Amino acid sequence: MRRLLTVFIALAALFAGPAPAATPGVTDDSIRIATIQDLSGPIAILGAPIRDGIVMRLDEENERGGVHGRKLRIAVEDSGYDPKKAILAARRLLGDGQVFAFLGNLGTPVVMATMPLIVEAGLPHLFPFSPHLATYAPTHPLKFQLFAPYRDYMDAAVRHLVGQNGYRRVGLLYQDDDYGLEVMRGVESGLAKRGLALVERTGYKRGTTDFASQIARLRAADCDLVVLATVVRETVAAAQEARKVGWPVDMLVTASGYSAQTHELGGAAVEGLYGVSVMPHPYPEGADGALNDWIQRYRTRYDADPNVWSAMGYDVADTFIQGLRAAGRDLDVAGFARAMASLNTTPGFLGGPTYHFSPEDHLGNRRGRMARIVSGRWQLVSDYLE
Amino acid sequence: MFAQVLLSGIANGCVYGLVALSFVLVFKATETVSFMQGELLMVGAFAAVLLVEGAGWPVLLALPVAVLALFALGALLEAVVLRRALGRPHLTAVLLTFGLGLALRGGVTMVPAATHQLHRLDLPLPGVIAIGPLQVAGAHLAVLVATGLACAALAAFFRFTRAGVALRACSEDPRVAALMGISPSRMHTLAWALGAALAGVAGVLLAPLTLVHPGMGLIALKAFPAAVIGGLSSLPGAIAGGVLVGVIEALSGLYLPEGAKELAVYGLMLLVLLMFPQGLGGRGATR
Amino acid sequence: MRRVGIALALFALALSGGGWSHGLAQLAMVATWALAGLGLVLIVGQTGQLSLGHGAMMAVGAYVQACLVSIGMPSPLALLPAMAAGGLLGLLASLPGRRLGGLAFGMSTLAMALIVEELLVRLVPWTGGAAGRVVPPFVIGPWTLGSPGGQAALSVAMLVLAWLVCRRLIHSRLGRAWRASREDESAAAAIGVSAGAVRQQAFAAGGVLGALAGALSAHWLGYLSPEQFGIGLSFELLMMVFVGGVRAPAGAVLGGLVMVALPQLIATLRGAVPALGSGAAGLELLLFGAVLVLIVLARPAGLAGGGR
Repeated sequence: MRRLLTVFIALAALFAGPAPAATPGVTDDSIRIATIQDLSGPIAILGAPIRDGIVMRLDEENERGGVHGRKLRIAVEDSGYDPKKAILAARRLLGDGQVFAFLGNLGTPVVMATMPLIVEAGLPHLFPFSPHLATYAPTHPLKFQLFAPYRDYMDAAVRHLVGQNGYRRVGLLYQDDDYGLEVMRGVESGLAKRGLALVERTGYKRGTTDFASQIARLRAADCDLVVLATVVRETVAAAQEARKVGWPVDMLVTASGYSAQTHELGGAAVEGLYGVSVMPHPYPEGADGALNDWIQRYRTRYDADPNVWSAMGYDVADTFIQGLRAAGRDLDVAGFARAMASLNTTPGFLGGPTYHFSPEDHLGNRRGRMARIVSGRWQLVSDYLE
Repeated sequence: MFAQVLLSGIANGCVYGLVALSFVLVFKATETVSFMQGELLMVGAFAAVLLVEGAGWPVLLALPVAVLALFALGALLEAVVLRRALGRPHLTAVLLTFGLGLALRGGVTMVPAATHQLHRLDLPLPGVIAIGPLQVAGAHLAVLVATGLACAALAAFFRFTRAGVALRACSEDPRVAALMGISPSRMHTLAWALGAALAGVAGVLLAPLTLVHPGMGLIALKAFPAAVIGGLSSLPGAIAGGVLVGVIEALSGLYLPEGAKELAVYGLMLLVLLMFPQGLGGRGATR
Repeated sequence: MRRVGIALALFALALSGGGWSHGLAQLAMVATWALAGLGLVLIVGQTGQLSLGHGAMMAVGAYVQACLVSIGMPSPLALLPAMAAGGLLGLLASLPGRRLGGLAFGMSTLAMALIVEELLVRLVPWTGGAAGRVVPPFVIGPWTLGSPGGQAALSVAMLVLAWLVCRRLIHSRLGRAWRASREDESAAAAIGVSAGAVRQQAFAAGGVLGALAGALSAHWLGYLSPEQFGIGLSFELLMMVFVGGVRAPAGAVLGGLVMVALPQLIATLRGAVPALGSGAAGLELLLFGAVLVLIVLARPAGLAGGGR
């Protein structure tokens, strides 16, 4: 009987874990947050630099003494883009009772599966990398988002380009998932405002290697602008296919194709490609003081060049830190959420947008800029589009 | 336009065919469907990238070395793991290849440089060649040529070399072959090594078309129906199956409504399985 | 006895590391995995027939459940049509088994799974297409199972029920016929057991269990999208039952424990050895692969061993 009791107590101790602090994850000298990334799955190519950018910004803050004297620590979990794993990771972190907020979780299935748990547990769900509307609407006191759905950016971008270059026949090549559908809605609504409709649309599955039939279809519809709802690899492949068959059509890619790898890998085929940029790519050439410093530090630390995803990770962490500063030394979740809901960020050296939050609107930014590949690198060719 | 898309489908089908060939090679000799061919293909492409980007080798030297490395890897995996499946139910070897495939993908994923960016393997190929009204990408042409060469080399190997004839004898009837003085276990090693090397060839050829990344092994999902349609035990059948899959994919993408492109291939595979359980070109996988 | 030891060790590992609610969430996951695994134990373990499409059964269960609950059917009631749909898909998937055997039939199940995945993307009005759909929590009468405790309780209860049914099936005349056809198809045919019919029964039963697991997990995840039900899931399930032991119902449970315990072990390791850091991403795949290889070689009957 006694032995049984011992076992029971041991088990209970195993489950119960340490006693929760007054505000979860916050002590006198530290704040612990968490992020669920894809470091081994299909979009690990985004997850790794995002994580690096976030961690770098937090460590910088710690070197300067932290926020209001508290050092920032982060638990990084890998979901492999699998919502089952993400849920367990979220429960593990929530169960510890030692996480103050979730920052920059990556991937729509992951975000949609874990967000309800996180906000139900009373923790802020901040700036996920997912274009899903539910990340900020309807307004929830604990949900905040920096990145607008592709819909908003693409609506404005298509209107801008059609207005500027007078396209009449617009076609769409889209990835057959939530990302592609979001873009399609944006393109359709942008065109409708110009009195146009898509003349052809054609999809592909992730992992597709050959775009001959899709490009042939778009060409047969005699498109004069092709919108690409693609990621880097497919952007390059689609542009190469079009140029190969001698079709010099103008193309516009979403922010997912706005990457230095697009022109590094695509070369001449992607010259002249239009893209939507939310955050400019941190090119080392011609970088000025603070930006150049940052690039050098990133290189030293990670032995790799920063890319637009590292910059976004950095920006996500920076916005979080600005929110923490505004919340003051007496930190609890409600106070932080109040501070976030009236935060206006200051422009950083990375050249990204400024973010404005209000109690009614928790989406920090809705606007993107037009960019174009000129002489093998992205150049910004417009201001932020309304 | 039709001809252009058709040509693209054929070229793409050749890549499927090449991967299917590696399935078939392994199946013929070992009666195992290998679920790690896609991963071997990916490892082969990364091996070439490592030699070119990491060690600074010229591409033309790196390619054969990468393929040889895959040959060695195949032999190693056979010696350490797959050999132990001999004489066990066929499911054992299938599961082993699946486990090895997972481990290979995990191993590559653990290298940060492999997951943080896409890699390009620049083969010394012409960009685009015009043949009459048709435009052919150099990379596609290379695939067509290489597939032809691989087939010819394999045919010659099976016909004219001692090892090739022995391998064939072994897959016909291992007991009789053993009585003739052929060592079945060495043939087993050879088959896995060749299968891996062939996947490596497909990997470096695929690299200019799809770029090098840990997910490129997914192409095995298309190569697999190709091998099944071809009959799983026929080398020419594998290539024909690959081309058929490539062409069907391309044409259904051009003429049929959305989504038909994916369904067409697997629908065809199901149909072939039901109507010709032996495949369109071989003795089949009915056991 | 050793089996029980392994199970207890895995159990402690799977449920450790993060307080009650995390432990219970893990338990719900183990039980749901095991439910789906039981289906495979019937199909693969009893009839010896490879199924590469079990994920599709889960998918059908999950989506039918989500559709019915969202039009107002009470969740426990919706489980029945969801399971029926899984059984139906199992029957459909077994049809090629009348003509094909072994590997070729295995491939046809793979083709079936890929077609189902494609249909999930296409049937937008019901499935929400590629954008996915949200699933409300499971409600029994006045209780909403939003917390891991309720989810674990329901999953375990379902698992126990399914386990009892499976044991009965395995020990019945039907189970003997299944095993007879596994051991020697022509001998079985001689005593009037047709391989085609055997496959049909096993696939239907397995489909029901797979769909039940899918329906429950739809509620636990709260969000469905087609990519969750890719062939990767089918392979994961197959791997799970072979690690656990495909010939005995206990194998499904042990396999489910491994599926949850291994990532937990890595999380714990990473907590203890921060230097592991980024490399840990591939470590899980590597370990799963290595465990599968080791078990297939050293303990071909899986952790559960023996069985019928």
